[in-house]
Amino acid sequence: MTPILAALPQWQEVLRCPTFWALATGALGLWMLLPTRFRLGRSLGSLLLAVAGGLFAYDLPLLGLWVDQGVFWLLALVAIGGGVAMIASRSPIYSAIWFALSLLGTAGLFLFNGAEFLGVATIVVYAGAIVVTFLFVIMLAQPEGHTAYDRLTWGGLPKVLGVVTAGLLIGVLTFFLGRLKDETKKPLSAEAIAQAQTNLLASDGILAEKHVANLGRHLFSEQLVSIELAGTLLLVALVGAIAMVMHGRPRLAQRIEEALR
Amino acid sequence: MNEVSLLYNFLAVGAILFALGLVGFLVRRNLIVMFLCAELMLQGVAVSLIGFGRYHGSQGAAGAWGGQMLVIFIITVAACEAGIAMALILMLARRCGVLDSASWQELREEGQPAYVDLQVPEERVEDRVWPQLTPAGIRPKVGPESEVHRPRV
Repeated sequence: MTPILAALPQWQEVLRCPTFWALATGALGLWMLLPTRFRLGRSLGSLLLAVAGGLFAYDLPLLGLWVDQGVFWLLALVAIGGGVAMIASRSPIYSAIWFALSLLGTAGLFLFNGAEFLGVATIVVYAGAIVVTFLFVIMLAQPEGHTAYDRLTWGGLPKVLGVVTAGLLIGVLTFFLGRLKDETKKPLSAEAIAQAQTNLLASDGILAEKHVANLGRHLFSEQLVSIELAGTLLLVALVGAIAMVMHGRPRLAQRIEEALR
Repeated sequence: MNEVSLLYNFLAVGAILFALGLVGFLVRRNLIVMFLCAELMLQGVAVSLIGFGRYHGSQGAAGAWGGQMLVIFIITVAACEAGIAMALILMLARRCGVLDSASWQELREEGQPAYVDLQVPEERVEDRVWPQLTPAGIRPKVGPESEVHRPRV
């Protein structure tokens, strides 16, 4: 294993890398999009983010088939664009709706990678249940609509630090994936592609015809204890949520007594 | 399809989703939006796990279904988390009337200065938009005063 410091690139290499510029413009654009007093922030920020997305996509390795590539870029655009709009919109209702759109994108990415059950489950559980519950809570807790704290952040410095942290995080993650990227530049033999297809389409493969049957078999054989624990966790969360909401209210018998008095 | 490229692309998208959720959690102040950002971080991790599962499946590895198993448990934990957080947020909002996380800064450490907003920006006209449903059926008569923006519905 090579030491990390020796593996760090020279600054000339960093300046030549499109991902670096994508992250820099993306961080600036995100900084402008977040709630701010700057007038032109929204349009300029979206423009910078579009440029950053283009640069980042340019640096990604190609999938090999143009149909797959187009579908992947569309789904990734929906997922990431929904996420950006979610953290940038001033109204929490719009945030929740943009989050649902972002979930549609990630569900599409799941389907793209052969996780059919999870794609549908994401739409049903997240977009169908969680986001709708969020909308109910927004209606219950914030009925007056737009508020001042949605137009504010924690001040200038924390916003800059947050954006820079995100840029550095993506930068470090993609930097440590560098060797994987070198791997993608090697030409693929026809046998390797055929072998991958055979592995994926085998009777226990990810893309097999009986997807849910395979998933269920693995879930209830290898993960049996975990799934029982998950069920218990759901029950405990249910009881906890009810206890939290009921806390502080008089008991039912007491209320009946008061009503009868 | 080049499976290594596919893995790389999915890891990149997962990292971006995670970072977006992180920025939102650090920067936004609405409790509900902060919570949505936590869910977005979970989605980023889930995308990475699905990518790993597909790659190992294409290599014929034995544990290829592990990625999808983990995402199932992520969805379970997210559902629990959402239930608990909704109850918690409702309780907090009932106590102090707003969803601002700065209104709970009484809980800060002793000796820390309080956070005070320097200047609250005015609400712009173009921000005063509401989600609208598609009209269905006969439209009732609407007075002119109902069509203007109502800051307190």
